Amino acid sequence: MQFIAAGFGAGIIALAAAFGIGIIGKSATESIARQPEAAGDIRGAMLLTAVFIEGVALIGAIVCIILALGIGQ
Amino acid sequence: MIIEVRRAIASLIILMFFSPALLAENADTEQNETPIDVMGKVTNHDYFELPWGKINLPRILYAGGEWYFYSSTNSALESGEFIIEEEAGLVRYDGEPIAFDISITSHLIYVWFSLILTFIITYLAGRKYRRGIGRDTEPKGALLNMFEALFVFIRDQIAKEFIPENKYEKYVPYLYTIFLAITFMNLFGLLPWAAAATANLTVTATLAFITFLVTQISGTKDHWQHVFAFPGVPKWALIILTPVEILGLFTKPFALAIRLFANMLSGKIMIVCILGLIFVFTELFGAAIGVTSGVFWVLLTVALYFLKALVALIQAYVFTLLSGVFIGMAVEEHHLDHDETSVAHAQDVATQHH
Repeated sequence: MQFIAAGFGAGIIALAAAFGIGIIGKSATESIARQPEAAGDIRGAMLLTAVFIEGVALIGAIVCIILALGIGQ
Repeated sequence: MIIEVRRAIASLIILMFFSPALLAENADTEQNETPIDVMGKVTNHDYFELPWGKINLPRILYAGGEWYFYSSTNSALESGEFIIEEEAGLVRYDGEPIAFDISITSHLIYVWFSLILTFIITYLAGRKYRRGIGRDTEPKGALLNMFEALFVFIRDQIAKEFIPENKYEKYVPYLYTIFLAITFMNLFGLLPWAAAATANLTVTATLAFITFLVTQISGTKDHWQHVFAFPGVPKWALIILTPVEILGLFTKPFALAIRLFANMLSGKIMIVCILGLIFVFTELFGAAIGVTSGVFWVLLTVALYFLKALVALIQAYVFTLLSGVFIGMAVEEHHLDHDETSVAHAQDVATQHH
């Protein structure tokens, strides 16, 4: 049961993180295309936002690993 | 292009016919081999692994009010003072658990290597600057040029960008050191026999704790006011906001530690697992398909290896970037008069309407 839960959790995390990072990438590339001279600033902001999403996704992934390994049961 | 693809497919087919013959020779010796220890490739050990062998590392243990020093785990066992128990692992002969285990481990060695490399590079560059090279003249030589590019990058892209103009200079040395040290620690993980020290939660937690200390110590009055009494919100909202803000102080370094740890841990595990697919395929579909698909898995591993090198640099950058952002948030001084003028402006508008 816990393996099913961990698998589903990891899947949902991947889905959500991919969705978030996809939106960031889309808006960043659009902004760079519209204003190529601000590419450096936009890249920095893009990375910073992507990193926050990654952090949340990784915490979710750790929870799934703990679930799968059965730590604390 | 098409010719090359055709040639590759042809060689794959040829390999498929020949591979059983290749495997047949050492089929008997394969039977009694231990399975690949995936986690063992990334976890901490009491020995230092080299391509040609292992070096046992000293154990420094504190149990029951006494210190014990041994040249290796084996010598600790041979002396009779320590025994290995089923559940607790290494304990003293009378069952007393080890209170402190500050043994030198493989990850610690890599941390030391990284710090020494960082120190040497910075010291050599600093000595040249003291002599005037690079300060009065153009930077000379590969070392000085690389150092300057890196240092200016940290200063302009991270420190100047996120920390207020009049204060950023104090934090550039810290950010530079942490960037270079983490980069070296991550890059050591690319060696097949070595492990990235940052794939250990204690190492990343320590690094994040240092950032936490720097952030809190350099926090201004405004920083603490934002934590305990967020300005400009109704009093009742503080009951919710203050615990959230206090929690926020700790979740930031926590996320910092977890991020670096999980990223560095996953890289090598993925490489070992994908190489392990060769053996899984051999088991499932026979030696021919196993060896042939091995070409694909090895190519995938090479691609992953480059990705890992990229991730090593990106994660060091991200750690430094977020340290800079957190420090910048803490040392910032908010100008409250800005809010007051907007309130006064709103009142002006309101009186005009009356």
